[in-house]
Amino acid sequence: MKDTLQLTDISTAEGQMVHIDPKDLPEIPGLDLKPMPWRPFTEEQKEKTACILDEVCVLNIPKPANKQEEEELVNKFINGMRKLFSKENNWTFLPMLETSMDYCAQCNSCSDACHLYEMSGQNEMYRPNFRSEIFRRIYKQYVKKEPLAKWRYGDMGLNWKTVARLGELAYRCNLCRRCAQTCPIGVDNGLIAREIRKLFSQELGIYPRELHEKGTVNQMSVGSSTGMTPDVVKENVEFIDEDYTEITGVGIHTPFDVKGADILLLHNAGEVMAWPENIAAFSLIFQEAGLSWTLSSKSVGYDAVNYGVFYDDAQTARIALQHMQAAKELGVKKIVMGECGHAHKALTVIADRVIPYEYQVPRESCYVTLRDIVMSGRLKLDPSRNNFPVTLHDPCNIVRLMGIVQPQRDILHKIAPMFREMPCHGVDNYCCGGGSGFAIMTRNNIDEWRGNISGRKKMQQIAAAFKDCLGPETKKYICAPCSNCKGQIREMLEHNDLYSKNSFAYGGLVELIVNAMVNVNPGFIKWEGDEE
Amino acid sequence: MTTLFYLLGYLAVIGFVVMACMKIKTYLQASPLHVRWELYPVPHEGERATRGGSFMEDKDWWTKPRHIDHLGDIKALLTEVLFLHATFEHNLKLWFRTYPFHFGLYMLMGGTIILVLVAFLRLFGVDPQGGFLTFVFNVINAISMIGMFGIIGGGIGLICRRLHDEGLRKYSTPEHFFNLGVFIIFALVGLVAWAFNGSFARISSDFIYNLLTFNFEPLTSSTFGLHMLFGFFLLIWIPMTHMAHLVFKYFTYHDIRWGDTPTNYSEENKKKIGDALKFNVTWSASHINPEGSATKNWVDVATSTGVPSKDAK
Repeated sequence: MKDTLQLTDISTAEGQMVHIDPKDLPEIPGLDLKPMPWRPFTEEQKEKTACILDEVCVLNIPKPANKQEEEELVNKFINGMRKLFSKENNWTFLPMLETSMDYCAQCNSCSDACHLYEMSGQNEMYRPNFRSEIFRRIYKQYVKKEPLAKWRYGDMGLNWKTVARLGELAYRCNLCRRCAQTCPIGVDNGLIAREIRKLFSQELGIYPRELHEKGTVNQMSVGSSTGMTPDVVKENVEFIDEDYTEITGVGIHTPFDVKGADILLLHNAGEVMAWPENIAAFSLIFQEAGLSWTLSSKSVGYDAVNYGVFYDDAQTARIALQHMQAAKELGVKKIVMGECGHAHKALTVIADRVIPYEYQVPRESCYVTLRDIVMSGRLKLDPSRNNFPVTLHDPCNIVRLMGIVQPQRDILHKIAPMFREMPCHGVDNYCCGGGSGFAIMTRNNIDEWRGNISGRKKMQQIAAAFKDCLGPETKKYICAPCSNCKGQIREMLEHNDLYSKNSFAYGGLVELIVNAMVNVNPGFIKWEGDEE
Repeated sequence: MTTLFYLLGYLAVIGFVVMACMKIKTYLQASPLHVRWELYPVPHEGERATRGGSFMEDKDWWTKPRHIDHLGDIKALLTEVLFLHATFEHNLKLWFRTYPFHFGLYMLMGGTIILVLVAFLRLFGVDPQGGFLTFVFNVINAISMIGMFGIIGGGIGLICRRLHDEGLRKYSTPEHFFNLGVFIIFALVGLVAWAFNGSFARISSDFIYNLLTFNFEPLTSSTFGLHMLFGFFLLIWIPMTHMAHLVFKYFTYHDIRWGDTPTNYSEENKKKIGDALKFNVTWSASHINPEGSATKNWVDVATSTGVPSKDAK
């Protein structure tokens, strides 16, 4: 379908609209990336769910059983669209949405900026404007009902298939906004994808369960999207302190609930479970630098994630408010955001105009705090301990969307003598492939999608950064200071066995800092084959 | 007939201004305060803008005075508007077609602005046959000819690209071709008027002078009149189409892409947040309004958990 796919196919195509053969995808020079065959949908899925876009199914929208249900789905969608374009329901994003609806010149300058378009072999469906233009035409024809809309903007059929496919299509975008950066007019296809997700969530109650039930809802009811309650998180961190005291040779104590501390450090709680070395490294650095700091054990206050920013304004606001309340209750001077990109943006930038100012506590990126520590000389560092090639992944949310570019580089220049940039770094970076919630999704070929399409551009960049030393004889470190990005990179390395084929290790910024600390036992960072 | 023609001229100018203002008003009223949605680089960040850096790179940034390099914003906006920098960088093939087209428009717009100034000079007694204004007319004749060639060449190039580039063809609608066609005809007729009349600039100047002085003198060139009729139509039509990016680029760049003012630096924004949170919410999903309350505002939503209170843990 690649060359013949038309915008109107979204409403007319029978069965699956797009087929992508993983064998046809672009090669990544220097890396042995195995194509991941799509797992076929089961007969039950085919019968009961509207998995009719491509080989992936994020939303599992139930297939309407009869004409009435079909109409109901369409009507709910149109109602949601009307609300999306109302000030009361969408004051947060309406100006950006309206300009993106009205002023696109259809020049498609955005296409080449998109890693999904490139790495899908330039599949038409992945043009950033494909989804936007369908949404735009529906808006003009069925919501705004502009005269001559079909002639002026192009016809678009609206039926249950259009709705189901468009909802799913909103989840074929990492929301990295690289396309928006290239738009001469200021149209934002990433925003449109998010607004479609929001419409589905806030009006139709349709969302990926990993983001909603297991994500935001779980976080607000239990305390963390990981399922960790306050007692469990404290216990786990205590274990981490014990383990890493032994590993590093330095006594580590992570403080909880210290009233009046200067800093509340807000980790992505996923780090506690998946990357305990990150938690330990932060604690060690802050402790050795003599900072006045604490973690919170208040429900939600120990998990920085806010998956609401990927799909739902209400959930975003609820979680951001609880983060602020946790900091207020402790009376800290500032919140320092741990290594989590979307949490940075949610609490620092988005919450800034959603949470009333009197409820806000100043937020700072850990990159900034860490630079201050490293540059101040409060830690004794030996850069020769990091004498291996290091490259840096720029998390979109922190770099392109917050402009925090230099602090992490200042640190790396100080502690990593073999640091080298990736091609297209800084604000021109590419998404890791796990952005906007995909790093925590696995079912219905999402894993395969990340391996085959969304994660390949990052691997291409990594290969280019290490092109002089890609072989297994040289140990290399991919510094990815963001939980979601680490999760995505881990999957790519594991699936393709690149730990052993290329001697890659990955991790955050703090691990590299600790690896260079002279009072810490050498070898904090481990490669495959290293002794534990 | 002559009076009707002049009336159409007034209508076109007033129509353009009114419609552009209405669009701007709609934009400004769409929200008391949208969320920050900046995209770096933001050019008013001064020196660090060259690498895309922001004030958030500073320790305790909220304690520091806010510096905005307005010159940086102006420079970036001018670079974009005058040279179509983003298209040059990201879509070079299109730039070779769209730049002559836009350059042509700028030439004609610039010429028109100069002729409005000339009309005021004439009102103050400057002789249109004198040396200075003859020089100005010669300049206007030159730039208007270049402008019209630019519009024709660029316009044809854009139509060809839309027809032959597979990616663009799928996204091009009849309106795209109509818009480009009208511009090309407008410039072609203008070129005929330019070629077959003594001085295109002088005819244009007389028309603008007459418009400003409500002196409905008959036009000396019918092709110029036709050229103007197409111009009147475009003035009315542009604000109704995506071509209103002529005006809205200011907002998409300045207010959205570069709109990075943190709330602690704006008393006005602090108040606006409170006002916006009082808006009623009518989203239907169960987690927005689990209790099914008749009215619920954003404060109610944000301070609830999204599950009915009996189920809340």
